[in-house]
Amino acid sequence: MAKRLGVYVCECGTNIADKVDIDKVLAAVSALKDVEVADRYKLLCSGDGQGYLKQSITENGLTHLVVAACSPKQHETTFMKVCEQAGLNPYLFQLVNIREQCAWVTPDGEEATDKAIRQIRAAISRVHYHTALEKKGMECNPDVLVIGGGIAGIKASQILAAPDRKVYLVEKTASLGGKTKRFSKLFVNMESGPGLIAGEIERLQKSKNIEVLTESEAEQILGFLGNFEVKVVSKAEDKEDKEQNFNVGAVVLATGFELFDAKGLPQYGYGTLDDVYTSLDFEEMNLADGPTQGKVLLKNGQPPKSAAIIHCVGRAEKGYCSKVCCLYSFKFDRMLQSQLPGVKIAHFYSDLCIPGKANQKFYEDTRESGVEFVRSAVTEIAGGDKGLTVKYETETGAKGDLAVDMVILLPAMETSSDARKFAEMLNIPQDDKGFLAEEHQLLSPVASAVEGVFVIGCARGPQSIAESIVQAEAAAGKILSALVPGRKLELEVKTSQILESFCTGCKTCIEVCPYGAITFDEDRRISVVNEVLCHGCGNCAAACPSGAARLKHFTFPQIYQELKEVLR
Amino acid sequence: MAPDDKGALFPAEGGVRERVIAFLQKAISQGCFDAVLMPAKAPGTDSFAYSLIGDGQLLKNAYPLPPVMSVQGAKAISSLTRSGKGKKKIAALIRPCELRATVELFKLGQVDLENIWLISIDCPGALPLAEWAKDPKKAEDAFAEILKGGPSESIRPICQICDKFSTTGAEDLHIGVPGKEASGILLIPNSPKGEAILDCLGIAAGEDISGWKDQVDKLTGARVEKKRQAQKELEAKSKGLDKLLDTFSKCINCHNCMRVCPICYCRQCFFESDNMQFSFEDYLKRAEAAGGLRLPPDTLLFHIGRMLHMSLSCVSCGACEDACPTAIPVAQVFSLVGNRNQEAFDYIPGRSRDEPPPLRVYQEEEFEEVEQSHAAVPAKQEARDG
Repeated sequence: MAKRLGVYVCECGTNIADKVDIDKVLAAVSALKDVEVADRYKLLCSGDGQGYLKQSITENGLTHLVVAACSPKQHETTFMKVCEQAGLNPYLFQLVNIREQCAWVTPDGEEATDKAIRQIRAAISRVHYHTALEKKGMECNPDVLVIGGGIAGIKASQILAAPDRKVYLVEKTASLGGKTKRFSKLFVNMESGPGLIAGEIERLQKSKNIEVLTESEAEQILGFLGNFEVKVVSKAEDKEDKEQNFNVGAVVLATGFELFDAKGLPQYGYGTLDDVYTSLDFEEMNLADGPTQGKVLLKNGQPPKSAAIIHCVGRAEKGYCSKVCCLYSFKFDRMLQSQLPGVKIAHFYSDLCIPGKANQKFYEDTRESGVEFVRSAVTEIAGGDKGLTVKYETETGAKGDLAVDMVILLPAMETSSDARKFAEMLNIPQDDKGFLAEEHQLLSPVASAVEGVFVIGCARGPQSIAESIVQAEAAAGKILSALVPGRKLELEVKTSQILESFCTGCKTCIEVCPYGAITFDEDRRISVVNEVLCHGCGNCAAACPSGAARLKHFTFPQIYQELKEVLR
Repeated sequence: MAPDDKGALFPAEGGVRERVIAFLQKAISQGCFDAVLMPAKAPGTDSFAYSLIGDGQLLKNAYPLPPVMSVQGAKAISSLTRSGKGKKKIAALIRPCELRATVELFKLGQVDLENIWLISIDCPGALPLAEWAKDPKKAEDAFAEILKGGPSESIRPICQICDKFSTTGAEDLHIGVPGKEASGILLIPNSPKGEAILDCLGIAAGEDISGWKDQVDKLTGARVEKKRQAQKELEAKSKGLDKLLDTFSKCINCHNCMRVCPICYCRQCFFESDNMQFSFEDYLKRAEAAGGLRLPPDTLLFHIGRMLHMSLSCVSCGACEDACPTAIPVAQVFSLVGNRNQEAFDYIPGRSRDEPPPLRVYQEEEFEEVEQSHAAVPAKQEARDG
């Protein structure tokens, strides 16, 4: 069938018309091969303009369309829709940006006009080589993968699970509950941590739509909102590794935190002196099923008569405040006082961080109960026959010693060791502290930079339990509104394809694909594109030495034809 | 991994060829490997070809260092293992440039080295294929003199400036050829697989090889200087589009250079694919614009394109130049461009099996000077306009 091209130049009000001599442009291009119509219009993107374009396509029986107007970022989709309405495949259309690239940047009118002619000629030359491409769609997958079985992951799973939505909750360790199940009491209401977690796990287990995979890790996650392909490997100690593959529509990362290793600061004596504990050690000691059946005891089996609580261990090294340590340290005071009446407690701190509606009162009550607060820097914890000595220096430079039986360190919270793995796997950035970064600190705090991947709880920075749960609910809300069962996803049309007869199997394309969309077929020894995962970035087509990888709509002849006319 | 100053002396008599064959015969009889892939003379002819030899007796036809490089060894190994490894243990005895090309192909998934033992040997160079074809007997005699240490002016120009004629670091075992006075050849292991060969032969790498090494280093130094000089002269003759057009003006578009190149591993060359077929009108337009058009078109583009595709992996083996029917110094030009590109990425093709080809790795901080020079363009423009 003979080609019938239409070329339309938009005046863009005065934006283009004032600089570019449109009549000269039309005269220069109207005689080019297969050009059926060449015309100008005041404002093609307006309702009237679109109507005119549609009518002109139909009346002239156009097979290909070139529009010279503004940036494709602004109106490419507008004109593609017009094509569809006029029954023309939208990929048989090429937009030329003569506003930003000619009218606005080239000071001389004549030069701008010549440049516009050159670019339109290139588009005409290119569009001859376009082929009709078909849109592809798939139904979005409403299921969700939650990684991390702590309080944040548990709450997110509970909210998300529904009869038409399955949740996979993947936990690295053997049991759910995360750090919370090790906290005998919770700030601020002194509720039992294990008790609270047990209730939540019970609720979780009642749901038929949550599949809990313990001793399991996500090894590969590829895809995008509505369609992630997931590989999970279960590594139970006494069983063979079991691999599971499934698809989900969204991923929630609730990978939690770890404590700063206090051994890295030897002046605190952790790991070398008896009766120096971290906050987590102390929590453990208070658990009914802990090493001392819940009793606070010194290593020699005696109850301590005095204790020092050292704040901000590792804060300077990490460079941030972990924001919950001050609060839970007041909880420690109550736990010590309730077991050991008359126990003397001293806090060594440089700053106290106690925001929140109930917290100031809790602190003041603690202070009134006789707990001492010493604003100072701790220079050393020394050991000796009679117990421990806290050596400190106040702001005025005064030095002091305090003998105590027990020392509890409050180490900074740091990112979980898995953060890097998931950052790399999912292509989401880590912040300068190593936590998984939010899309926007203020406006989009639980979304990550990758659509469909959410970061909640301590995976994105130190959080309280309440904050973690709020974030779980926020992420769940976003997912519920985005992943409506039955919703159609539009897939990338301009994907890459690898021609079997050209592929030598050097795997270069696999290494340069940022989306994990290319796999190697060992039997045929060639690379294969997963068109659902392909975003059409063209890396593979550029890197393939033999031209086996080709990007639809950016084929070699199309680019060549365009360049040839630009350079001629 | 560079070998330290220790190797094993394999005692043997005769010329280099006899000594190497003695080593291979012993290794096969001891079961160190099942077969050898190496050049051999086809019975009853003057031709050399890569042969897979499993019978120690047949090794008498083998030529570890034939006078010419008729087929690049990397291509032979690739044709054997491209679709996967075999069960037999095969020792491939090849020249250092062939070995380096093999390593490049390994990185590109075109050879499987699991059951291949790569053995290289000190290389005296090779004669131009065309010279040998004129009179094989004469060429063989001339080469025998070179092997004995005679003058080497007749070896290929690319071999005369080769500074990587000995151990490359990526082989399993290197055969060092010491001076005439030595009572054998040096076996220098460079990997656990290479050490296994010595274990199998029951000899230890206890020999001081510094004498041999000094000899290699001295020649390397001389070659580096010679190469610098030769490349400077070549650059003066071929730099810039006009001179490059001149250099390749004799090209007859046979694409032999691409076909024999070990690094050109594509099933179909991009320049022979439909990507490079244009319409009559296209050609006409080009002819109109330029005042004329050479047909078939894109002759120089083919060479520049090939350079772009393979020069980072070019090992300067000279196969392309040997295959050129019109005596274009293809290998010398490609080696010059390849060396410059490789220097830019601090990459030596075939140096290591673990070093990824430069274009497969992305570094955020690199070539800042190039970025700077581009960033400076608008500023210059402004100055001009102002």
